[in-house]
Amino acid sequence: MALLPADFAPLETWAVDWALPTQNQRWDKRLASSSAALLAFYQALLPWLEPILAHADQFALGALPEPSARLFDLTLMHAEIAPNVELYKCAPNVPHSFAERRFIAVHGDARH
Amino acid sequence: MSAVTPRRWAKTYPWLGEDPLPTAPYTSAEFYRAEVEQVFKKVWLCLGRVEELPAPGHYKLKRLDFAATSVLAIHGRDGVIRAFHNTCSHRGNTVVVPQGDWDQCGRQQAFTCRFHAWTYSDRGELIGVLEPEGMPACFDKTKHGLTPIACATWEGFIFINLDAEPAVSLAEFLGDMGRHFAAYPYHELSQNFTYHTVLNCNWKVGVDAFAEAYHVTTIHAGSFPGTFSTGLQMVKLLGDHRTTAVCFDPPRESPPVAKLAQSKARGSLVNSVASKSLPPTLNDERRNDYAFELSVFFPNWLLHVAEGIWFTHQFWPLGHDRCLWEGKYYLNPPRTHSERWAQEHAVVLQRNAWLEDTATMEGTHYALSSGAKPTMQLHDEEILVRHGYHVLDQYMSGKGAR
Repeated sequence: MALLPADFAPLETWAVDWALPTQNQRWDKRLASSSAALLAFYQALLPWLEPILAHADQFALGALPEPSARLFDLTLMHAEIAPNVELYKCAPNVPHSFAERRFIAVHGDARH
Repeated sequence: MSAVTPRRWAKTYPWLGEDPLPTAPYTSAEFYRAEVEQVFKKVWLCLGRVEELPAPGHYKLKRLDFAATSVLAIHGRDGVIRAFHNTCSHRGNTVVVPQGDWDQCGRQQAFTCRFHAWTYSDRGELIGVLEPEGMPACFDKTKHGLTPIACATWEGFIFINLDAEPAVSLAEFLGDMGRHFAAYPYHELSQNFTYHTVLNCNWKVGVDAFAEAYHVTTIHAGSFPGTFSTGLQMVKLLGDHRTTAVCFDPPRESPPVAKLAQSKARGSLVNSVASKSLPPTLNDERRNDYAFELSVFFPNWLLHVAEGIWFTHQFWPLGHDRCLWEGKYYLNPPRTHSERWAQEHAVVLQRNAWLEDTATMEGTHYALSSGAKPTMQLHDEEILVRHGYHVLDQYMSGKGAR
């Protein structure tokens, strides 16, 4: 059964592991990923970002049907890892940083 | 920074001098104990926002470990926000039981101590005593409400003062700083992202690290490359407080996702966005490269304001070598999923920059604790750090609080 809206079928393979609804989940996923995996996800989603956002903008905030919500979660995951690819040479962590998971995000378990 | 006049801030504020600063105030447990008594128990401290207590009955509980107390702020049915020590008049139990290590907000009709069910109103009055006939005949309920803490608001920020009789009002304490930062729509930019952690460093190590932009080209070479290297502008030392503008370098071509996020964001730290909401007191030179205002409200609160974004840092002392850091980032509530996505990109990048900032703090404290360096040498761009020490020294020598 499809996880994403039909128009976005080519992204199905990413929806299983990378469509994560909370910042804490996305943060952990980034830290647990290899540089190669981050780059592959970055490149796979990049051409789809604008079509996905245009699709999501047809719905009011908080009113995404489940397949569209999964799709939108992919864009948030992409926002989580984009600085690593664009600024940190694909390092999975923030280079020269404080121990990342000692930061507690008050919003970290909220959906989206 | 090549175009900048050398030692311009020392020349602008010669009364601060150019001497090295002593390191003992950062590492001495004895200095810390005096600092708690002479500063943290005497001055106005920012406790939070009125939006955290949006309606009558809403409360916020905050632990202040340096004073061995927790503060209970309550929005009363009369609309007034009051603060109290969270200490029962009976045998001193905590009335609202802390549920974790950090702030808690909630809503209650009344506040009942778990121990023996003594109950307090939204105004802190003692309104219920279990089996009152067993209390001494002279016991007068009206004299045993919660112990109040001075509380006042400015621009929607709630401040408290642990001094039973504060030397100055909040308005006097803030003075010109309060006027400089008034009239910004803090309440409209209500979409909040908060991070916190305990840092093994003196609270001033943390405040100082955020109170200069001299570190940006090194520490933020990752997250903000070539972005804020023009040096401080429009530095203003306002009473016990201090503020400066930070400007951005000529914009460069952004990588694809950063560029898309900036195009969909309603506020930005790093791009020229036409000023719509900044009060006229900010950027009084009307520079086109104005990015944001960096400020320190004495002693432990930093307020940063930009077009469409504001954020704060606060360092709560937990000892001479530990503190609680709280970073709070505020944006306009998103109207669309595109805006929400752009916010996520902005928040993640800011969080990453804060991870770069906090990376130095524990190492700095550890190295200072060696005693190898009795003094630290400041650069002219660290004028806010110098002023911070000057104000602290005034309080420690009994000349503070005017």
